[in-house]
Amino acid sequence: MERDRKRSDDTESGFSRAGRLAIMFWTMAKIGCFTFGGGWSIIGQIQIEFVEKRKWMTEEEIIDFMSLAKSFPGIMIINMSVLCGYAMEGAPGALAAAFGLAAPAVAAIGLVTYFYDSLKSNLYVEKVLNGVRCVVIPIILQASWKLKDKSLTGTISCLLLAVSFGVCAFTDVSKPLVMTAGALLGLWVWRGGKSHGAA
Amino acid sequence: MVLLELFWSFMKIGFFSFGGLTMIPVINDEVLLHGWMTADEVMDIVAVAEMTPGSLGINCATFVGLRTAGLIGAFSATLGVMMPSLTLCMAAAHFILKLKGNQVMESAMKGVRPVSMGMLLAVAVTLSISTFWTEGGAVTLSGVQWNLGLIAFLCAVLLFRFKVSIPKTILFAAVLGLLIG
Repeated sequence: MERDRKRSDDTESGFSRAGRLAIMFWTMAKIGCFTFGGGWSIIGQIQIEFVEKRKWMTEEEIIDFMSLAKSFPGIMIINMSVLCGYAMEGAPGALAAAFGLAAPAVAAIGLVTYFYDSLKSNLYVEKVLNGVRCVVIPIILQASWKLKDKSLTGTISCLLLAVSFGVCAFTDVSKPLVMTAGALLGLWVWRGGKSHGAA
Repeated sequence: MVLLELFWSFMKIGFFSFGGLTMIPVINDEVLLHGWMTADEVMDIVAVAEMTPGSLGINCATFVGLRTAGLIGAFSATLGVMMPSLTLCMAAAHFILKLKGNQVMESAMKGVRPVSMGMLLAVAVTLSISTFWTEGGAVTLSGVQWNLGLIAFLCAVLLFRFKVSIPKTILFAAVLGLLIG
């Protein structure tokens, strides 16, 4: 019902389906240009573009989608764009939104890749890259640190952290296997949301 | 068939990573195994990904795809890494109401989060060894490349103590690299 209402509103405002898809692709591409370092800012931008300006979505939808996008595997912001696109215009909308959001990243990295190989052997570029590689380690540590409040909820999760660190640092067990084991353990230990109260 | 391999590998990366930098361990394994990138290149691309628009997954897929099999390779890899969104999330969008406050997913995530954290720490150790010690050299105190360790330490101070944004810290590291790298 809700969606029907929204759709008819926009037909009145003069956008054909193809037009809406094009707008969605373009807006997402615009948003995709400004997702530097982590994707959280895009949620704010989606909200401004599609809730406030165009009223194609509601505030509640954004909040629901955010928690869904976070809990699904894959790239959070692409998940988010698929959910929003689907809500607005079905499967074609999801595709338009996802590819729109990915387009600027692909273009930017395309350029970087083009210059990377020819510049890598340059002495000064090499020095710069040496410095840049060093920063990656604190960045990873920071990302890991940020996970601590949500991850380490009790003794079991601390144990999981230690075991996963040990397995990954000292053995060649594949990461997907470790991840799956973690998910299964989570299901087993926290099944039925015991630790959660009303869900 | 390299296109299929790219698609398959990056689909695996997509399905087994939960956002942002937790992808690094999975990406690292997969691209090193296939010989698509070196450990140094992985670190370069992480830094580049933090400074250019778009997420690490997409950036890495495009980079590896382009270098391995040109434009069509970039397309295969990028499509691969987007597959979880295009399948699982699409299905979720369809059944959105049934999945609201999804308890099963949340329990699984409670197991996944600490595991991801451990993985990240482990990869930080491996990458530290390949960064701060010269290649093939013994991992001893005298073999440390102190200039690089200093850069990492200063960047850590900026990130943790002064909450400087990641792109700015990377620029700082680049300048330091030019001076003492």
